Amino acid sequence: MFGLYLHIPFCEKKCSYCDFYSIESTEHIHAFVRTLVQEIDLRSTSDIATSVFFGGGTPSLLSPADMATIISKLCNSYAIAEDAEWTMECNPGTVTLERLEAYRASGINRLSFGVQSFTASELMFLDRIHNADEADAAMSLARAAGFDNVNMDLMFAVPGQTMETLNYNLLRMLSLEPDHISAYSLIYEHGTPLYARLKKGLITPQNEEVDAEMYALVIATLTAAGYEQYEVSNFARTRKQCRHNLTYWHGDNYLALGPSAHGYIDNTRYWNHRSLSAWTSKVHEGVLPEANREALTPHEQLVELLFLTLRADGVPLAEFQSRFDIDLQSLLQPDLGHWFDAGFVIDNGITLRLTGEGYRVCDEITLKMIERVG
Amino acid sequence: MQHYRNFCIIAHIDHGKSTLADRLLERTGRVSAREMTMNQILDDNPLEQERGITIKLHAIQMDYVSASGENFKLNLIDTPGHVDFSYEVSRSLSACEGALLVVDATQGVEAQTISNLFMALEQGLEIIPVINKIDLPSAVTTIDNVKKQVMDLLGCKEEDMIMASAKTGIGVDEILEAVIARIPAPKGDPKAPLRALIYDSIFDAYRGVVVNVRVFDGTLREKDKVLFMVTGQSYELDEVGVLYMQRKRTGILEAGNVGYFTAAIRKLQDTKVGDTVTLLNNPTDNPIAGFREVKPMVFSGIYPAESDDFEDLREALGKLTLNDSAISFEPESSNALGFGFRCGFLGLLHMEIVQERLEREFNQTIITTVPNVRYKVITTKNEVVWVDNPAQLPKTTMINEILEPYIRAQIIAPSEFVGTIMKLCMDRRGVMTGQTYLSADRVDLTFNMPLGEVVFDFYDKLKSSTRGYASLDYEYSDYEPGELVLMDILLNGEPVDALSSIVHRQKAHEWGKKLCIKLKELIPRQMFEVAIQASIGSKVVARESISAIRKNVLAKCYGGDISRKRKLIEKQKEGKKRMKQVGRVEIPQEAFHAVLSID
Ligand SMILES: Nc1nc2c(ncn2[C@@H]2O[C@H](COP(=O)(O)OP(=O)(O)OP(=O)(O)O)[C@@H](O)[C@H]2O)c(=O)[nH]1
Ligand code: SF4
Ligand SMILES: [Mg+2]
Repeated sequence: MFGLYLHIPFCEKKCSYCDFYSIESTEHIHAFVRTLVQEIDLRSTSDIATSVFFGGGTPSLLSPADMATIISKLCNSYAIAEDAEWTMECNPGTVTLERLEAYRASGINRLSFGVQSFTASELMFLDRIHNADEADAAMSLARAAGFDNVNMDLMFAVPGQTMETLNYNLLRMLSLEPDHISAYSLIYEHGTPLYARLKKGLITPQNEEVDAEMYALVIATLTAAGYEQYEVSNFARTRKQCRHNLTYWHGDNYLALGPSAHGYIDNTRYWNHRSLSAWTSKVHEGVLPEANREALTPHEQLVELLFLTLRADGVPLAEFQSRFDIDLQSLLQPDLGHWFDAGFVIDNGITLRLTGEGYRVCDEITLKMIERVG
Repeated sequence: MQHYRNFCIIAHIDHGKSTLADRLLERTGRVSAREMTMNQILDDNPLEQERGITIKLHAIQMDYVSASGENFKLNLIDTPGHVDFSYEVSRSLSACEGALLVVDATQGVEAQTISNLFMALEQGLEIIPVINKIDLPSAVTTIDNVKKQVMDLLGCKEEDMIMASAKTGIGVDEILEAVIARIPAPKGDPKAPLRALIYDSIFDAYRGVVVNVRVFDGTLREKDKVLFMVTGQSYELDEVGVLYMQRKRTGILEAGNVGYFTAAIRKLQDTKVGDTVTLLNNPTDNPIAGFREVKPMVFSGIYPAESDDFEDLREALGKLTLNDSAISFEPESSNALGFGFRCGFLGLLHMEIVQERLEREFNQTIITTVPNVRYKVITTKNEVVWVDNPAQLPKTTMINEILEPYIRAQIIAPSEFVGTIMKLCMDRRGVMTGQTYLSADRVDLTFNMPLGEVVFDFYDKLKSSTRGYASLDYEYSDYEPGELVLMDILLNGEPVDALSSIVHRQKAHEWGKKLCIKLKELIPRQMFEVAIQASIGSKVVARESISAIRKNVLAKCYGGDISRKRKLIEKQKEGKKRMKQVGRVEIPQEAFHAVLSID
């Protein structure tokens, strides 16, 4: 069982905060699709895929025809489960009903919209190309096209944002009744224009206190509206968790295609060249377009599984015992009491799981756990 | 024997002893110019080279043909200048008939110049004053004054002093000729029963203990069965020789000479420096007076960063004491730090060096506590309890009196700083006991002071408040009662034993307040709020708090982020190695030294 990730490295316009690999020129899309199809031939597996995820970049820049080409190639090359989750990231500003219907016809069954905010000043700050009304429209179109599994991304701790505007964004998003919400605190990634502005002192980031309050508001509001928090930044209605993203957080295998994509198969991680041209020329030479790969030692596997599952829906106690011969409950004995008392962690007998309060200091708890396991 | 000369080089720290030794070694051909690959070649420990100071005495024999054409064997001992290692100087002196007293032409007479000189005079050594560094341009203005200081100090004439530069080699021939002419040849009878003094011993991984001796009477030969008169142990000698840059086996060592022997002695503790070596079947009835025992003066806890490494640390300390018998260590445990050792040192520099050697030579990652002195507690039952860890102080109700060690501190400085120095010493509970003008603008002050007040950065303060001009020497005087109290530090209500200190009652409040503020700076925010309290008995005298981390979580962690995140976590984990946890509070190494950075 594995997840399948395809990276579509094109965007109409780069957003100021984004460090995903994508380029603004779209003239190479067709060539890219042909190359992607070739990479599929380079990466065969007999395993069964349970999810397919088109990320980016902006996959909705692909024409329905290109999308259909890729999907049929995937179906011919891999064993893909009947009920697999097929997600496609879309920019709310670039969708039409026909396109959505066409994507759906070729097999896509889940959409993810990068909405981020419904407040014009915040959208502008983030350099997003869409506006709030387009986000509303995108949701209606998705529903009209028959999608019953739609995610919307929301961003908080954006400079200039207030508790009021965040609250407004949340309520307006909830009114669209998405099935899943990813709510991220803004990250200042190295190398982005936003980071450069921060370093120059041109922007004042939200302080930790406000960031924490906003996070608390997000968690409280979404949980109250019936969304379950199953990862630091992810909330889902019943049975609408993103199956694909869970492969990352459960340490499962995932195959990745396209420039800059990271795959993880049988405890080895690889990453493709982060350049359309380098990636393309390798694939054309008929060799794997990887920049590098690393085989994880058992200890590294342990560390990853621990911090990933802790970020998500809980550290699986039995798996640590059977796979690494580690009794987490006794190793963490000195701290667990403090964490239970503070309401950071719950032990339901199967997993050690963070609470909303616990997610807030997830990285602190992670580090302590890693120290304890040695 | 007429052709032996045994002498050492003594001086205040940095006046150029080891550099002068370089020139002597070069001039006598013991080390060729090509072999002279580094300065202060006798400082063969990397730490000595790095810090530019001598830590250990170093003996070496040279061959010298005098101006009159005679062949001499010169045994030279280079000594350290730092006060912590004055024990090395006193032992070196006992192997010699003379000493070169080196005085920096730009610095003049300083505290250890005087203390080392007095030690040499007590042993009846011939002193050859050498004014060094005359090549320095600034010497032009200072040298006359320095000459006068030395003449006043020694009561010698101008022509008795040799003007030298250990850097350029000026004066080196004159020094060698003076050694021949002025230092008496050793006396002794090679036929008499053996009398050899152990003035040093070092540990060699292959040979075991290498014993350095000065033979006063008789002759040492390989295969001889010798008796160590104080310890009562006897050994058969394996190897006998003299010291060149390496050991040089000669098989024999006669009265008047300085050299070494080995005898399959496994532990440094099996030999006693100061002991007299004699022949088992023909012993002397006149052992040489030994040395006073050196006692550790300052103590600190040394703990492994990872509790699993306790045994490793024990082994490392054991090995280190093979080479440095002045260290003491005993296991102890702490609620904050787990299992570790309470170690005793000669002084702060000695402590620093030991800690650094443990890390570098023995690969230990350690956490150390703030140094303290050894207190003498008289209990209500009139028993004496020695306390070298504040946390171990008996309950107040059990204490009749606490006594603390005092020192006689000698400070030499330009007279313009008298006021500053007096204030500094009085703040540290010092009482001035003497004031002598060495010259119109140079003063020698003595204070009776608690050693406990000196271990906290006194030396740095003294240096910085006198623009580096003051020099300090001290010797232990006696125990005196003090109004001392135990100050505990509590983190979230739990006392952290490794942060306890013994302070003077009148200073306790002020001290507690500063310490809490400092700890607040040094302890990073954590996921819980941290309350810091200083208390004396059950009375809280100061408090601070560190607010909790409000949010720390990476928002996004997808396929492409995982590797990076893992590496970050591993790096952070490495960085937290020296953090210790008490209750739910994590305490970094620096916090255990908080009191050192209080002003
Ligand atoms: N210009 C000049 N510098 C000198 C002379 N002699 C020594 N120095 C410098 O003074 C510093 C101290 O020299 P050392 O020989 O290490 O002094 P020391 O007396 O052995 O010091 P300790 O062993 O630590 O007490 C070094 O930087 C030497 O280079 C000299 O005659 N002229
Ligand atoms: S955030 Fe999305 S739309 Fe914006 S640049 Fe990045 S990949 Fe493109
Ligand atoms: Mg030296």
